[in-house]
Order: sequence, then structure tokens, then C-alpha cells
Amino acid sequence: MHELLTMHFIDINLATALQVVLLGFIGGILSGFIGSGGAFFMTPGMMNLGVDGVIAVASNITHKFGKAMVGSRKHAAAGNVDKKLAAYVLVTAIIGIQIAVAINSYLFKGGGDSHGAAKGAGANLYISLVFATILSAVAVSMLRDILKSRGNGDGGGGPSMKIAEYLNRLHLPPVIHFPVADTKVSLWILMLVGIATGYLAGTIGVGGFIGVPAMIYVFGVPTAVATGTELFLALFMGAFGALSYAYQGFVDLRLTMLLYLGSLVGIHLGVYGVKVVNEKYIRVVTSLIILLCVFSRIVAIPVYLRQLSLLDFPADWDYYFNITSKFFLFASGIGGALVILLKVFHAYRQRRRVQKTMLVVQRPGLSQVEAVRASRN
Amino acid sequence: MAIVMISSLYQSGREELAQALARKTNWPVVSREDLVDQARVAGIKVGRLELSIIKSPGMHEKLAREKELYLAFLTNALCEKARQGDFIYHGRAGHLLLPGISHRLRVGLTAPQEVRIKRAAQMLHMTPEKAENYLLQLDEDVGRWIHTIHRVDKSDLNQFDVFFNLENIGLSNAAGIVCAMAELPDFQPTPASMKMLDDLHLSSQAKLRLALDERTQRADLQVQADSGVVTVTYPPHDEALGRDIPLVLADLSGCREIQCTMAETNILWVQERFEPKSDNFQQILQLAQRWGAAVELLRLVPPGELQFDPEDPGTVADSGFSRPECPVPYDGGVEDDGPATAEDDGGLRLTEEELVNRGRCGGRHTICGGTDKILEQVQGNGRYALVVIGDMFLSKGHSTRTRRTRELALSIRDRLKAPVITADELKARFLFGKRQAVTLVGFLALLVLMFGVVFTHQEAVKNFLSGPFHQHYKWVASVFMIFFIPLIAYLYGTVTGLALKIINID
Repeated sequence: MHELLTMHFIDINLATALQVVLLGFIGGILSGFIGSGGAFFMTPGMMNLGVDGVIAVASNITHKFGKAMVGSRKHAAAGNVDKKLAAYVLVTAIIGIQIAVAINSYLFKGGGDSHGAAKGAGANLYISLVFATILSAVAVSMLRDILKSRGNGDGGGGPSMKIAEYLNRLHLPPVIHFPVADTKVSLWILMLVGIATGYLAGTIGVGGFIGVPAMIYVFGVPTAVATGTELFLALFMGAFGALSYAYQGFVDLRLTMLLYLGSLVGIHLGVYGVKVVNEKYIRVVTSLIILLCVFSRIVAIPVYLRQLSLLDFPADWDYYFNITSKFFLFASGIGGALVILLKVFHAYRQRRRVQKTMLVVQRPGLSQVEAVRASRN
Repeated sequence: MAIVMISSLYQSGREELAQALARKTNWPVVSREDLVDQARVAGIKVGRLELSIIKSPGMHEKLAREKELYLAFLTNALCEKARQGDFIYHGRAGHLLLPGISHRLRVGLTAPQEVRIKRAAQMLHMTPEKAENYLLQLDEDVGRWIHTIHRVDKSDLNQFDVFFNLENIGLSNAAGIVCAMAELPDFQPTPASMKMLDDLHLSSQAKLRLALDERTQRADLQVQADSGVVTVTYPPHDEALGRDIPLVLADLSGCREIQCTMAETNILWVQERFEPKSDNFQQILQLAQRWGAAVELLRLVPPGELQFDPEDPGTVADSGFSRPECPVPYDGGVEDDGPATAEDDGGLRLTEEELVNRGRCGGRHTICGGTDKILEQVQGNGRYALVVIGDMFLSKGHSTRTRRTRELALSIRDRLKAPVITADELKARFLFGKRQAVTLVGFLALLVLMFGVVFTHQEAVKNFLSGPFHQHYKWVASVFMIFFIPLIAYLYGTVTGLALKIINID
């Protein structure tokens, strides 16, 4: 068994190493800019290089553990981590994860019958449907907010608080105050959201995609605190995942180290982008990346339906569906990262160019003002 | 000139106390309700703001601009009243308005709950049960309002000069005490408090103009005023603002100079004495240029030390607890154009001048006191990317100075919700110097070694992670991973962070 597992670790030459570093770099940019999303790109990317699914997931979770540690440390220094909120969500999310694992295991065991259905097709279909439904809702809601705020002439452009407002009105005691996030949330709603977040993270495997919007839209947490708290949460979930997978012998340390080479540079650039790019722009880019990922998943669904004999088309077509699905996944990741990099580069140049204070002296009795000095570096 | 600001919850007697005081003194009364009506007429959506805060108190980001506009309107109206003479204001958070004006008398009031219920039931034609529920909900909403608008807890008694419980004292007697207190020297205008009033008035006027003018109303601006100089910082993505802001503020009464700085954010620098040639200045300027930030100077004069003369009955009675007062001569906003004045401003103007030359000026203030005074002064100024506590408590020894500076930094961090550091941490945290260069080289060497070992011994690594060795010592691999991975992440994270600092990306 162990001899076989070692054989599943790919040979890494310079070309493979560079590709893994690039995957890490793109994942890091996305992760730093939108607060989550590295996993959705890096895991399938590694699988594309011939890494086994479980080893890709395990190496990525281990990578996420260290990354979350560095990221949450930085966020904590900026006062963006609500440890109390993270503790509550962590406890309830673990229950949600257990529910997700139980459902996935049941569906996985149920596949692979004598009629030709591939093992795991049921679980894959279920995961894809949940992924497409939830992330579409998140992306559409973000886009609608942006369009609405433009229509209202509301320059503030903060996230919609409709769900948070509705839940606040329900007023279900006990209500817990979270001082860093500066918000009050009913314990019941917290538990419900924690379980739902854990369930979705366990089902889809991308916790940040759910955790960050849930904190912003459901709890009314400021965006920066939601991102910082989610990273703090990911630190513990990542540590647990890394420990478990390493015990099973699934973690390829070499892949994890190569991912770091790219991702930690990418994260710095992504986080820098958040500081210098308009918040509205961040949300447009995030929602478009998510929508492309959703589309990539939707394209793969007919394959699972065919494997479950719910749809009838030639098996050769699977290749085209899979390649199209991969194309959209990579288009979202690479396209998103390029757009972010371009914007970051533009803002970086602008920031270096513009350093000025204009001094204007008011002359009594004159309606016009006269600029007497403008400094520029 | 007396300014009495009375605060209480609904139906707790604030209006009656204001009227009783007015009968004794003939001072005019202004209520929050009057000002809110005027604000509505001026086009400020106070109802929308109230509803949003009550429904979802977490939405600070979206409400920031409306909140600023509302506060600027109230501040402007109250400053105008104060310039006309004595007045009494009553409202739900009157004690938190006109921040920093030391001669205002902040009066708090509470009444027994059963009295409030009875009064509310009569006023609103409700049953007592309904009135009780109504009051409970209303008190909670007011608490949210105060927390969101002023960032303090409604039950924080530190914000008051005097607090009455109407269960223990009658309204008339309370009015008598307030009247007598308002006559005390502590609540009389001083040159410093009058200057503060002028600055507050000018900044609120400027904020209002900018918020209501269609050329500037959508921009995220930070506005300060000091001695007739209005400083506005505006975001770089709208360069036209640099031209529009002076036009909007043209002929603003009391404004003799406008400083417009293009900046993405602000750094607040708190220090006792400023010096443009100091290391602190160079480091903060370097950081501001890298972040595209404006530097706001806040000169903090610590309150006088506990110096009392046993021979002097006055100082013995005060035992050093007298109200701190800044040594600022009041010139009515008119400054001498002459070359050098004898006035010691702690190097503030020279430093500001240097910041203007470098294009990073974000305004200046002088205050006297501790954490509360700093917060009063800067809480309405939006979010800061960083607060730097520079050289403080200069009259103290090194150890005491270090300890008290750190204590000050901690208490500001807790309440301002912004990153706060001391100047000696600045270099290590944000700048690149010799120490950082040594760290970069050392960590890089360690990383090269680690990567070299792993990638030149791939078969051994595979064996350790999931081969025969792993089969016998599963926990060894797991525990190794838990320590090794964070170490790699920390080393490489530090290296990338420092390398990006060199090219000014952080």
C-alpha cells in the first residue's frame, strides 16, 4: 500500500517545478485580492500536471495552513481578526464539515454500480450542483449590489446589508457581541451560519468563498475583518487538515514548498491591490472570476449525468466537456490574475508619480483663489 | 460664555431641565429636534441614516459619508450658536457634540424607569406595558446610534462633567447646580478653547460645503482646520478634485489658506515636539511617500505633572487634578505675517511646512490631555492607515517615557480601531534598514539550504512522507509537517515581504 502511495508522488523536474510555482503565484494573487479562492485554481491545476486528486488536495491544504498563518498574523497586526467570532464559527463549522463528509461518503459509496456508472459520479454531480448554485448566488448578489449602488448614485458602495438587516430584526436572544468586528449576532444565527459554512466548505472544498461573504452579508462584518477572521479560521482548519492528511501519507512536501514560492509573492501583490484599487472594482473582478468558475463546473455536469445514466450521449464527448471546463477554470484564474496585476501595476505607477500638496491662499475680497505653490516629487 | 450640553434618554427630563435652566439664566435653548429639522430642510437624509443604523449597526462602511455630513451640520450649527453667546443644548448625545471644546459643560440625566413609562404612555397614548416595550426598544436604538455615530458606549459616564439621577434630586435643584457649575472658571472660555471652537467651526463649514457641492460630494475627503488653514486630502483617482476643492471653498469665512493633498490614506503622527530634521520625520515621510499617504500632525501636550505647593491652599485642594490647558495664545484666527514669532508651537509649523514641500501634508492640531482628548480630536476624521506615537513625555526618564508611550499606544489602539505603533517600532515593522537587510540575507540562505536539501534528496523525502519510514513512524511525519510548514511559510513570507519593501510594495 505504502509502496504504491509513494509511486503516486510525481517526479518533479525543473519544468514541473516552474509550473507549480506559477500555479501558486496565480492562486496567491487571487487569494490576496479577493480574500479567498486559491484552492479552486491550484488543486485542479496540480491535477492537470498529473498529481493525484487526494495528493493535490492534501498538499494544498497543508500549503493553506502555513499561508493562513502568515496572512492572519499580518491581518491581526492591522486589527482585522475577530478571534471570538472565529472561535464561534470554527466550533459550529466543524459540525457542518462532518455533515458534508457524511453525505459525500454516502454518495461516493453509492456510485460505481454494475450498469457502468463511474464510482464517485453521484458525489461529483452533487458537489458540482452545490458549487454552481451557491457561488452563482454569491456572484449575482455582488453584481446586483454594484449595479444598484451605481443606479442610486450611492458612492459609498459598501456591501448590501439586506440579509444582516433582516436577521437583526428577528432579534433571537442570546445575542453575542463581537468587539473587533463591532457587530452583534444571535447565537442561533451564528450556529446556523457556522454549520452551513462548514457544510459548504466540506462539500465544495473552498471555505473562504463561503466564509467571507457569509460574514459580510449575514453578520454585517466589515470586509477587512471578514477576510482577516476567515484567514485565522483557515489556520486551524488547515492545521487539522494537514495533520490528518500527513498522517495518512498524502502530503507531498515538495509540492507544498513549490506552491509557497509562487503564492506568497502573489498574496503580497493581491493584498497590495486591495489597498490601491477601488472597492467596487474589486467586487466586479471577484464576481466575474466566481461566475467563470461556476460556468466551468456547469460545463462538467453533463459528464456526471451521463455516468449516472441520466443523460445519453457518446462517452467520447466527455473529453470535450472536460477540456472546456478546464479552459474556463484556467481562464478565470489566469485572466483574473492578469487583470489584478495590471491594475496593481497601474496604481503602483500612479502612486509613485503623484505626491503633491497644493497650497492656495485666500485673498480677502476676491472670489477667485490663487495657487501659490504645488509640490511634486 | 456658557455652553451647556444636556443628554438623556427619551422622557428622562432633559427638555425640562433645559427649560428650568433657561428660566434661571435666560440662555437660549436649542434642541436636537430643532437641528434635525433644519438638517432635513438642508437636504440631509437624517431619517435614512437613523433607520440604517437602527436596522443594521454593522454597516459602517456604507454610512460613513452620511454620518460625516450629519455631524458637520450639527457641529456647524452649534458653533454658530456658541459664537453668538451662551446657550443650552439638549439631545440624546449632546455631551458628545463639540468635541474638544473644554469650556462646554456636559450634563447627563437619568430618571426612574416607572416615571419614564408613565410619561411615555401619556405622551403616546399607550398602555404602560406597550410604553415599557417601546422604551426598551428605543433605548437600544439610541445606544446603537451613539455607538455608530460617536463610537462610544451610551453608558460611559467618563464622557460627562456631571450626571444627575432624578430619583435623588429635583429638576429645579439640578438646574441650580448646573447654573452654579457653568459659572466656575473650569467652564469659562480660554484662548485655547476659543481657538478650538474656531477650528471646529471652520472645518465643519468646509465639510458641509464640500459635501453639498455637486463637484465634490461623491469624493472621499478628509478635512481638518487649524488657525484658518483648511487641509483637505483627496483620493488620487480623481485628479480634478485638486482644482475643484479650492473653488468650492473660495471665500469661506475665516479661511486664509487651503492645503489640498492628493492621498490614498492618512497617517496620524502624535508627538510632543516636532522637528523636520529628526529621524522620526524622515521615517514617517518615507512611509507616507511609499503608501501615498498624507501625514496629519497632532501635537499632544501632556497634562501638567502633580505639582502642588503645600503652602498654597488652591493647589492643595486641586491636588494636581486641575483641568489641563494648552498654552495656546488666542489670536481670533488672525495670524501675524511677520517672520518669526516668539510663540513656541513645538516645531509644528516648521514640520508642516516641510510636509507641504514634500507634498504629504495632512493638517495639524495641538491638544492638551491624554487618550480621551486625542480620540475627541481625531475620531471624526475617518480611518487612519496608521497611527504613530512619536517622542512623548519628554520630561520623564527613559523607562517611564517608554512605558507611558506604550500605554498610550495601547489605549488608542483599543478605541480608535486603527493600527497604532510607537516610533521605535516603525523601522522594524515598515521600513527597510540594516537589520532588515541582515534578516533578508539570513532567511534567504536558510531557505536555499532547506530547498536544496529537499530537492536533492527527493527519494528520501518521499520515503519519509509516505514510504516504509512513514509506515512505521506516521506521527513523526505529521508532527514534522506541523512544525516545518509554518517555518517555511514564515521564512519565505518574511523574505518576500522584505524584498517587496525594497521596491515600495507593501
